[in-house]
Amino acid sequence: MVSVASRRQFLLAGSALVAASGLGGLPAFAQDTRLRLIFWGGQARADRTYGVTDLYTGTHPGLAIEGEFLGWADYWPKLATQTAGGNAPDIMQMDYRYIGEYARRGTLAPLDQYVGAGLDIASIDADQLQNGTIDGKLIGISLGVAAGAAVYNTKALADAGIEIDPMGWTYDDLLTKGAAFADSTGGAMALAPDGSGVELLFENWLRQQGKALYTAEGQPAFAAEDVTAWFKLWAELRQARAIVSPDEQAIDVGKLETSPLVRGKAAMNFTTSNQLVAYQTLVPDPLGIAIYPATKAGSTGGHYRNSSQYFAISAGSAAPEQAVEFINFFVNSPEAAALLGVERGVPASSAMRAALAPSLDERSQQAVRYIDQLGAIAGPVPPTPPAAAGEIEVALKTKSQEVGFGMQSPEDAGPAFFDEVVATLARAA
Amino acid sequence: MTINAPAKLTVVTEGMPSPLRRRTTSIIVHVLLIGASILMLYPLLWLLAASFRPENEIFTSASIWPSSWSLDAYFRGWNGLRTGFGTFYLNSFIISGLSVIGNVLACSMAAFAFARLNFKYKNFWFAMMLMTLMLPYQVTLIPQYVLFRQLGWVNTFLPLVVPKFLAADGFFIFLMVQFFRGLPKELDEAAQMDGCSPWRIYWRIIIPLSMPVLATAAIFTFIWTWDDFFGPLIYLGEMRQYTVMLGLRTFTDSTGESDYGGLFAMSALSLVPIFLFFLFFQRLLIEGIATTGMKR
Amino acid sequence: MTVHSTIATPIEQAQRPSVWSRIWQNDAPGYLFLLPWFIGFFGLTIGPMITSFYLSFTNFDLLQAPQWVGASNYVRMFTADPKFSASMRVTLFFVIFSVPLKLAFALAVAMLLNRGIKGLPMYRALFYLPSLLGASVAIAILWRQIFAGDGLVNKLLALFGIIGPSWISNPNYSLWTLIILSIWQFGSPMIIFLAGLRQIPQDMYEAASLDGASKWRQFVKITLPLLTPVVFFNAIIQTIEAFKSFTPAFIISGGTGNPINSTLFYTLYLYQEAFGFFRMGYASALAWVLLALVGLFTAFSFLTSKYWVHYDD
Repeated sequence: MVSVASRRQFLLAGSALVAASGLGGLPAFAQDTRLRLIFWGGQARADRTYGVTDLYTGTHPGLAIEGEFLGWADYWPKLATQTAGGNAPDIMQMDYRYIGEYARRGTLAPLDQYVGAGLDIASIDADQLQNGTIDGKLIGISLGVAAGAAVYNTKALADAGIEIDPMGWTYDDLLTKGAAFADSTGGAMALAPDGSGVELLFENWLRQQGKALYTAEGQPAFAAEDVTAWFKLWAELRQARAIVSPDEQAIDVGKLETSPLVRGKAAMNFTTSNQLVAYQTLVPDPLGIAIYPATKAGSTGGHYRNSSQYFAISAGSAAPEQAVEFINFFVNSPEAAALLGVERGVPASSAMRAALAPSLDERSQQAVRYIDQLGAIAGPVPPTPPAAAGEIEVALKTKSQEVGFGMQSPEDAGPAFFDEVVATLARAA
Repeated sequence: MTINAPAKLTVVTEGMPSPLRRRTTSIIVHVLLIGASILMLYPLLWLLAASFRPENEIFTSASIWPSSWSLDAYFRGWNGLRTGFGTFYLNSFIISGLSVIGNVLACSMAAFAFARLNFKYKNFWFAMMLMTLMLPYQVTLIPQYVLFRQLGWVNTFLPLVVPKFLAADGFFIFLMVQFFRGLPKELDEAAQMDGCSPWRIYWRIIIPLSMPVLATAAIFTFIWTWDDFFGPLIYLGEMRQYTVMLGLRTFTDSTGESDYGGLFAMSALSLVPIFLFFLFFQRLLIEGIATTGMKR
Repeated sequence: MTVHSTIATPIEQAQRPSVWSRIWQNDAPGYLFLLPWFIGFFGLTIGPMITSFYLSFTNFDLLQAPQWVGASNYVRMFTADPKFSASMRVTLFFVIFSVPLKLAFALAVAMLLNRGIKGLPMYRALFYLPSLLGASVAIAILWRQIFAGDGLVNKLLALFGIIGPSWISNPNYSLWTLIILSIWQFGSPMIIFLAGLRQIPQDMYEAASLDGASKWRQFVKITLPLLTPVVFFNAIIQTIEAFKSFTPAFIISGGTGNPINSTLFYTLYLYQEAFGFFRMGYASALAWVLLALVGLFTAFSFLTSKYWVHYDD
C-alpha cells in the first residue's frame, strides 16, 4: 500500500518534471566535469557572467559550468542552506562581510597552493589580495575594486546653485552648503541623506582621525566618546536641515529604490563606487561621484580600496583545480574582462584595467576615474572584520534611528552602542 | 428541488419594505461596494501604470498616470531572463496544478477521518496535526533540505509537490474538518444503516456535499503555491525549473542594476492565471450546494 | 472533539465481536483514511521537527557541527535578550489588533456579498485581489506610495490642513501600517466565511422570516450559531498565522524590522538570527518557545470551544 501510493505519486510528479524541463543538466559523458557557480546580482550581471562561462566552456570540452544567480536577499539563505546541507556549489560569490564568516568555519578552500600553479596573481593589486586573505590564507579572489563614494544628483546641485569639490569636500561644506541647499529647495529636498547609520561612513570618519572600526584581533578600535561625537555631528547637520528628516531616512531599508536619492528627497547617497551605474538607471538626472566628506580640508586615510565581491571555492568541491582555472580565466583574461566591464567594480588586475580602458562608456569611466583619483586620499585596507560585523552594522543603523527620532541623546547613545558592540563581539567569539 | 419558489415566497411574506426602500438599500450597498473596490483596485492600477511607464519615472513620479506609455517592459520582461517566462509559467502550472489535486485528495481523506470516523488516539493525532502548523518553517528548513537531498529530490519538483499528496499542510485538514462536521450527521448514519462502507460515505456523500470547502481549498492551494517563492528558491537550482514567482525575484537585486519595468510588467501578468483560476473556482464555491441537490 | 458512534453496525449485531474485528470495524477505517497523512507526518515532518528541537539545545552556526549547550539558549532568551522581548511585544500587539479587525472585516464583507445582488462575482474577485498579490515586491513599493511622508494618506490629510508624519517609517506608527496591510489582505478568511454562509440551509431563514424574525435576530439566532465552526477555524488559524507573521515585515522593512525594531516580528527576528547571524540553535529555541505559546493558546481555545462552537454532531 505504501509503496504503491508513493510510487504512483512519484511517477506523476516525476513525469511532470520531465515534461517541463527534460532530464537535462546531466553531463553528456560520464567523465565530464561539472562545476556549479552561484552569484548574486541582476540580469545584467548574469548576462555578462554567462558570457564568460560560455566562452570558457567553449574552449574546454568536457567541462560544464552550471550558473545560478539570485537577488542579494535570496542569495544568503539559499547558500547557507546548501552549505549546511552539504551541497555547496563549487564556486561562490562572496561579500567582504560574509567571507570571514564562511572562511573561519572551514567551508572555503584556501587557494595558496594554486598560486603560480593555475592561479596567476602577478597583476592583481596587492591590496585586493590582502582583502581576500583571511587568517593568513588566500580565500577570495577580488572581482572588482570599489570604494566608499557619495553619489550625487548634479542637476539638483546646479539648480540650487551649490557646488562641491568632489575629491575634497568636507563635513563643514555639508553643513553650510546643505543649509543653503535646503533654503533653495524650500525643504522639499535635502542635500544629503542621514548617514549616521551607515557603517562604512562611520568607519571612514574614524579612519580619517587615525582610528578604525576593528583591530586586527577583532576588537573595537574606537571608544564610546567617538560614537557620541559621531551622533553629535549628525545631530548638528539635522538641526541645520542639511540632511533629510529621520522619518524620511527610515524609509531607506537598504535597497536602491528606497534611498532618499532615488525617491527625490536628497540630492545624494552614501554608497560605494560600483553602485554608480545602478543608481543612474533609477535617477533621471545625471549623477556625479564624490568622496565621503573629509573631517577637515586635506584630510586623508579614510577611504580604502575595498573589494566589491570575491569568488571563493567550496572546501568540499570535487574539482578545485578546474574551479581555480576558471576563476583565473575570469580575472586574468582580456576576453573575460571585455565581457564583464566594470559591472562588478573596477577590475583588480592592472593588466585588465589597461585592456578595458578604451571600451568603457561615460558612466563606467567615471567610476574608474574615481578609483584612480582616490589613490592619494586612500589609506591601507583594514583587517578582515570579525564574525559579528554584520550584526553590528545592523545595530548601528538601529541606534542611529533612536538618536534621530530623539529617543536617546548622543551622550547616552555613545556608551550604549559601545557596550552593545563589546557584548556582540564577545558572544560571537 | 425548486430553488426559486421559496425565495419568491420570502419576498411576498416579508411584505413590509416598499420597493422604493428596497432600491435605496440596494443603491447604498452598491455604493459601499464600489467605494471599497476602488481601494482594492488601486494597487493593481498602480502596478499596471508602473509597467507601462519609463523606468526612471517609476520611483520618482508622484502621479499614477505615466508620462508616456510603452509595452516595452512586457517584451523585455518576457524574454529578459535567460529562460523565457513561458517556461516559468509551465512550471508554475505543473506545480500548482499537482498541488491542488494532492491537497484536495489527501487533506479531504484525513479530514474525513478526523471529522466522521472514530478511532483510538484520534485527539492525539489531531493535536499533532495542529502542532505542525505552529512551528515556524525557518527552523525546519535545513533538516528538511538534508532529508530531501538524501532522497535525491533536490533540483526536482518533488519536494514542492509530494508533501501535498501526503496532506502535509494541516491548514486544509483543519479547514475541511470544520466543514465536514457541519454536515448533518443523519446522512452518514442512514448510509451506514444501509451498509455503506466508510469509503462510500466519504466518496458518495461527504465529497459531493462539500463542494464549497473543496473549491476553497483548491483556490487557496493554487494561489498560495503560485505565490510561494521560498520553497522553489531553496529546492530549484536551474533556471529552466524556476516558477513565475522565482523568475520575478531575479529581476531585482537590491545591490545592483535591476529591471524594475520588467518586474512590474511580469508581476501584472503573473496575476492573470491566479485571477482566472479564482474566477472559475468561485463559481463552484457558490453553486456547489445548489447543484448537489441539497436544500438551498 | 469526540465523535460518538452510537449506532451499532449490522455486522456487530450479527456476530460476536472479537477484539480484532472490533479494531477493524472501529479503528482501521480512520487509520486508513489517515494513511497519506501518516506517511507525510512520519516521513517528512516529524524528523525535521525533532531535529530542530534538538538544535534548540545547541550552538549551531549552519556551517559547522552543532555543539550541545544545554538549556542556555532558553536561559538567554528570558534573561539577557532585549530583542526577544521587543519582538514578542511587537508580535503580541500585532496579533491583538490585526486578528479581530481582520476577522470582523472579513465577516462583514462576506455577509454583504452573500446577498443576492448583481455583479456579485465581480465584487468578490475585486475584494480578493489584494490577497492575490501575496508577498509581491510591488506591495512594499505600493505601501510606501501610500504611507510615506508625501504619500496618498498625507495628501488626503492635507486637504483638512493636517500635516501627517511618514507613517510607514515612524516608529510610533509603522506597526500600524503593517496591521492595515494584514487587514487589507482579508481575502482568505472572507472566502472561508462565504463558504460557511453558503452551507447554511436557506430554508432556516425562510422559516424564521415566516415567524416574523428581524434580520438582526436571524443573524444572531441562525447565522452566528451555524457559522461558529468556521468562526472558530478562522480565529485559530488567523491567530497562529499572525504569531508566525513574517512576510509583511520582511518585504516592507527589507528584513530589518526597523525603524528602531518597531516592526521586528518574532519570526523576523528568528530569521535574522538563523540566516543573518548564523545562530540556528538560538533560532530553533525561539521557534519552540513560539510553538509552546501558540500551542497553549490553541489548547485553551479548544477547551472553551465546546461552550460556544456549534457542531451538528
